[in-house]
Amino acid sequence: MSRIMQRWFSSWLKRRIPAATQQTLSHHSIFILPSGFGLLWIVLTVLLFLFGTNYQNNLVIGMSLLLASVFISTILHSYRNLAGLTLLSAGSTHTYAGQQLSIPVKLYATKPLYQLQLSFPHNDELRVIEVGQQPQTRVLSFATHQRGPLDPGRMRIESRYPLGLCRVWSWLDLNTQHMVFPAHHNGRLPFSSLDGDSGETGAALKGVDEYAGLRSYIPGESLKQVAWKQWAQERGMLSKEFTTPEGEPVWLCLPSQLDNMALEHWLSVLSFQIDELAKTPNQYWGLQLGQQRIAPSNGQEHRLICLTALALFQLGTGDD
Amino acid sequence: MTESHDNITRHTLLWLLITNIAVIMPLADKSSVATLGICGICFVWRIGIYFGRVARPPRWLVTTLAIAAAATLALVSRELGMLNALINLLILGYALKYIEMRERRDILAIVLAGFFLIALAFIDKQGIGDTLLSLLVIAINTATLLSVYRGQQNLILQARHAGVLLLQSLPLALALFIVLPRLSPLWLVPQSKGATTGLSDEVSFGDITQLTRSQELAFRVTFDGQPPATATLYWRALVLTDYDGHRWRQSEPTRSINWFRPYNIDERQDPPSENQLNYSVIAERSGQHWLFGLDRAQSQTKGVKQLNDYRLVSVKPIEQKFQYQVTSAIGAPLNRVPSRVELDQDLSVPAKLNPQTIALGKQYAAQYQNPRQRLAAMMQLFNQQPYYYTLTPPALGQNQLDEFLFTTRQGFCVHYASAFTILARASGLPARMVTGYQGGIYNADAGYMSVYQYMAHAWSEVWLPDSGWVRYDPTAMIAPERIEQGFDSMFAAEDSYLADATFSGIRNSSWFNAIRLQLANLDYYWTVWVLGFNEQRQQQLLSKLLGEATPLRIALFLGSVITLVMLIIAWHTGILRLPTRRSPIDSGFTKVANAAAKMGVERSISTGPNAFSEQLKQHWPALVTDIEQWRSCYSQLKYQQKNSSQISQLKKKFIFLSKSLSKKIRKSH
Repeated sequence: MSRIMQRWFSSWLKRRIPAATQQTLSHHSIFILPSGFGLLWIVLTVLLFLFGTNYQNNLVIGMSLLLASVFISTILHSYRNLAGLTLLSAGSTHTYAGQQLSIPVKLYATKPLYQLQLSFPHNDELRVIEVGQQPQTRVLSFATHQRGPLDPGRMRIESRYPLGLCRVWSWLDLNTQHMVFPAHHNGRLPFSSLDGDSGETGAALKGVDEYAGLRSYIPGESLKQVAWKQWAQERGMLSKEFTTPEGEPVWLCLPSQLDNMALEHWLSVLSFQIDELAKTPNQYWGLQLGQQRIAPSNGQEHRLICLTALALFQLGTGDD
Repeated sequence: MTESHDNITRHTLLWLLITNIAVIMPLADKSSVATLGICGICFVWRIGIYFGRVARPPRWLVTTLAIAAAATLALVSRELGMLNALINLLILGYALKYIEMRERRDILAIVLAGFFLIALAFIDKQGIGDTLLSLLVIAINTATLLSVYRGQQNLILQARHAGVLLLQSLPLALALFIVLPRLSPLWLVPQSKGATTGLSDEVSFGDITQLTRSQELAFRVTFDGQPPATATLYWRALVLTDYDGHRWRQSEPTRSINWFRPYNIDERQDPPSENQLNYSVIAERSGQHWLFGLDRAQSQTKGVKQLNDYRLVSVKPIEQKFQYQVTSAIGAPLNRVPSRVELDQDLSVPAKLNPQTIALGKQYAAQYQNPRQRLAAMMQLFNQQPYYYTLTPPALGQNQLDEFLFTTRQGFCVHYASAFTILARASGLPARMVTGYQGGIYNADAGYMSVYQYMAHAWSEVWLPDSGWVRYDPTAMIAPERIEQGFDSMFAAEDSYLADATFSGIRNSSWFNAIRLQLANLDYYWTVWVLGFNEQRQQQLLSKLLGEATPLRIALFLGSVITLVMLIIAWHTGILRLPTRRSPIDSGFTKVANAAAKMGVERSISTGPNAFSEQLKQHWPALVTDIEQWRSCYSQLKYQQKNSSQISQLKKKFIFLSKSLSKKIRKSH
């Protein structure tokens, strides 16, 4: 029953406050009801009225009426504290499954507003003490559970200013899409050549081709790499370092024929490895996921492309 | 709610300190010493928290205080009476919650309890000053609540904000106050057992002096028509019959009266009299049952009864200002025949006391057969013998009346009334002492009379079978030159009630009196229209305001007040913007721009007037001259300094040009 109600409510909301990347709150999108404290306040006024009536005390009656009218005038004050608030989506973000997604939102208002609480359902609340004409960007957290594109849905903007008697709120969908990458899993998938032969291992990444510089010798290293000339000059035992030149990428290939569990596992491993590779300077890598192939490259942009591909790969309900 | 302690700002903590004092202070007289002590401990601890000297109160402290609070209540509840015990309970709860407070919702609870305590203070503090003070406390309490939601704002702004919120709410509260029906009490409530003031039902020689020094108001009277002469105003309050040689008391049946079912209330209607006087009395709080009336007084007001000694009483003690209507038959005889037992009481004289007085009474009886002549002779005694009126008479011994009548010869109304009553009894005439007030100060501007405590008076009533109870006031017989020291208002001696006043010096200055009179008037209107605002006054006011108090009109009245208040708040908070008159220059420009837009030429906001006119020229080459004229007129108006006559001419021209240009643009296809 409650689920039906909820569905009806959300579809009603969709019609009433359609999703948009920039929205300004007005009477169209603001809801207002007495808060729990407001109800207690009403109970108090009724009590005082009875008290005044029983003692035939006009001042107590007057006071109860004053408190009642304070309640009524705070309705407008409460409404005003959301009316005119503009929310803008401040871009898409990404995170790894299981972590908090930080969704940036830009806020400003024509008149100053106080003590706003923003949150996505079942997520931590963001308190904004004051919103003025100067736009400010705040970050809302959203807990993620699985990889894939993420539509956080409607966020709740709530205020109880000025006396906490009324709860004023709105549900806004800023129409944003975020990406949740597979969670990291510390593991290793052998690098492969383009043909799929298992070739160099991780250790072989330190190439032999191009001299990159000197560093202190680590015991156990091949003596071939020791810079004997410098040793002879009594500058200590150093070893020459070489790196694989550009153009000689490693390939990350997702094993084929995986069941669901294993697929998620290897996607997580790949996610970890891609981030590791991205940390290594000048490291080029390519990614092959089933039929999809991402040409080798490096840099942040490439990393995000690869991680997004991982996030989207073979999603049951994902939209490509 | 997931609010935690860190949401309570320092401002809120400071507000809480202020609120705590503000809320509890007006109730200090109702709380026991132990209660105040516990409140004090809690307050000091909170100050410590505010300055960061102590942390949250340890469990043992809270527990100890709670136990102490419970013990206090248990101990004092009996002596305080039900209502005061309840008030103490609330204050203690308030204090304990206050010391324990850690979350936002604790503050909310404290604020709500605070409002209730403020209302409790209204039980017996109902003056204008008290009310203004309570409004201030309400504002402080509201500011505390506001600071919870607006912690960063500075303290003064928070206070102002709360004040504005209350002021915005006042008109609606007032309208509701006027319109909402007055209900009668829904159930029986405990009454406070406060101190009693004014006349006492036991009078000894020292008692009335206390009153004669008090300038407190006893009651106010509004007469229908002209008030009677002040000298004839004997406000009867108590009839005292039992005299034990030291003090006067009411008769035994009256003392043990059951106020909820007074048996000696006479429901008989007195015969109508020609000399009817209608008036309404607003009695101040006295904590007593007795009311005030002139001569043969009757009241139709609910809860007011007439006892068979013709005095008015209230079924409930007067715990707050109380208004009642009286009809007095002025000069009508109080001739309800007393029973044999009653007459016996009115003849009894304490045995073995005051032999000289009794002898004198018997002597009068022998000398004058006619009771009226006898009484007249007794009255003459006080005039002819050197009796002095003083508020500080010498102390008297065992035989009070003998010493007073024959030795000291100094006293005030109680002495004279006592002596006269006993003399009459000794001479064989049933007599009793009546206490009440004599006189009153009439305020012709506002049309009411004030009777103060210093007008308290005592006199005698003697039963004469042919004319009932007849009033004799022996004090009035004292020769004016023998009034040593001020007196009741009858003698119009201004000083009598000033003995205790601190600023007697400025009392005589006229401006001071003028202010005092204005304040008294204000207090009168306050009492009548706010405290005494009942169904009748409501009808009166509503029909004055609305012509006729039909439900529809009342609803319309309330609706329009609500709308008006809401509009004001909306405007004040900036939800509503009043349309501002646009300058003719702007509206002319917009007119052309709108006409162009209709024809498909949109002006973007960044396009200046010159660029816009170029745009127009491109689209309407036929109108180039019109457009150019229009543009130059616009830029002259906008960007050139001109004197006012030139400007108004240019404006007219521009409006005309705008009109014709927009028309031409619309007509072009």
